[in-house]
Amino acid sequence: MSLSGGAFGGNRGLRPVPPEKGVFPLDHLHQCDLEKKDYLNCLKSSGHQSEKCRQFSKKYLECRMEKNLMARQDMSELGFRKETETNGETSEEKNSKRIEV
Amino acid sequence: MVGGSYAAVPLYRRFCQATGYGGTIQRRESVEEKIARHAKDGTVTEREIAVQFNADVADGMPWKFTPTQREVRVKPGESALAFYTAENRSSTPITGVSTYNVTPMKAAVYFNKIQCFCFEEQRLLPGEQIDMPVFFYIDPEFETDPRMDDINNIILSYTFFKVSED
Repeated sequence: MSLSGGAFGGNRGLRPVPPEKGVFPLDHLHQCDLEKKDYLNCLKSSGHQSEKCRQFSKKYLECRMEKNLMARQDMSELGFRKETETNGETSEEKNSKRIEV
Repeated sequence: MVGGSYAAVPLYRRFCQATGYGGTIQRRESVEEKIARHAKDGTVTEREIAVQFNADVADGMPWKFTPTQREVRVKPGESALAFYTAENRSSTPITGVSTYNVTPMKAAVYFNKIQCFCFEEQRLLPGEQIDMPVFFYIDPEFETDPRMDDINNIILSYTFFKVSED
């Protein structure tokens, strides 16, 4: 189908940009419902902070990959770093350069 | 069914090229490239942004459509997951398609959707309820843009339109 962009948000400024990796197939069989619930419950109990619930969102996406509801790839490419570099940063990481515009 | 989401990518590349971004046709850095670059640079971000969610249906669209969580608090550079829930309350299968909007508009350029349910037609059977995920990423460059200094909230709004009924 073609979305010319005219009817959809054409008069709202920036044009809608499609998602990078395409569209998530819907989980019609509810195969990853448990992982989704775990993530959402975590959010509720941790002030809705994404960082605190990363392991649950990771599990949800991994579930999707297992059920062929998402293209498989290394989780680190999607921003899920290895457990070693987390909140307890070393001083060298704290002083790491920020982006200069 | 892995082919499903992969097949969508060339279509969206064509879409991007047809509509361009800001009138240009060049391909922007992909989110994965940004993630890799910032991981290598050791980019640190500090500001917490509250991403909040709106859900709407167009007139005549008999779905209940709501955000599943009130908000997600995220730092730029952290990929994050959010859900919407949709339910077909009619007695016939309905196919819908959604579009989205990000406000404030000046922040929209930093809001990257890695993967979501939008742009493609979705068909729900009568009474079917489904969860619709959005996997997104706020560019770390948001934090160093002085125009974003006064922004602590970003609102992601989706609207579902009815395409057909069968």
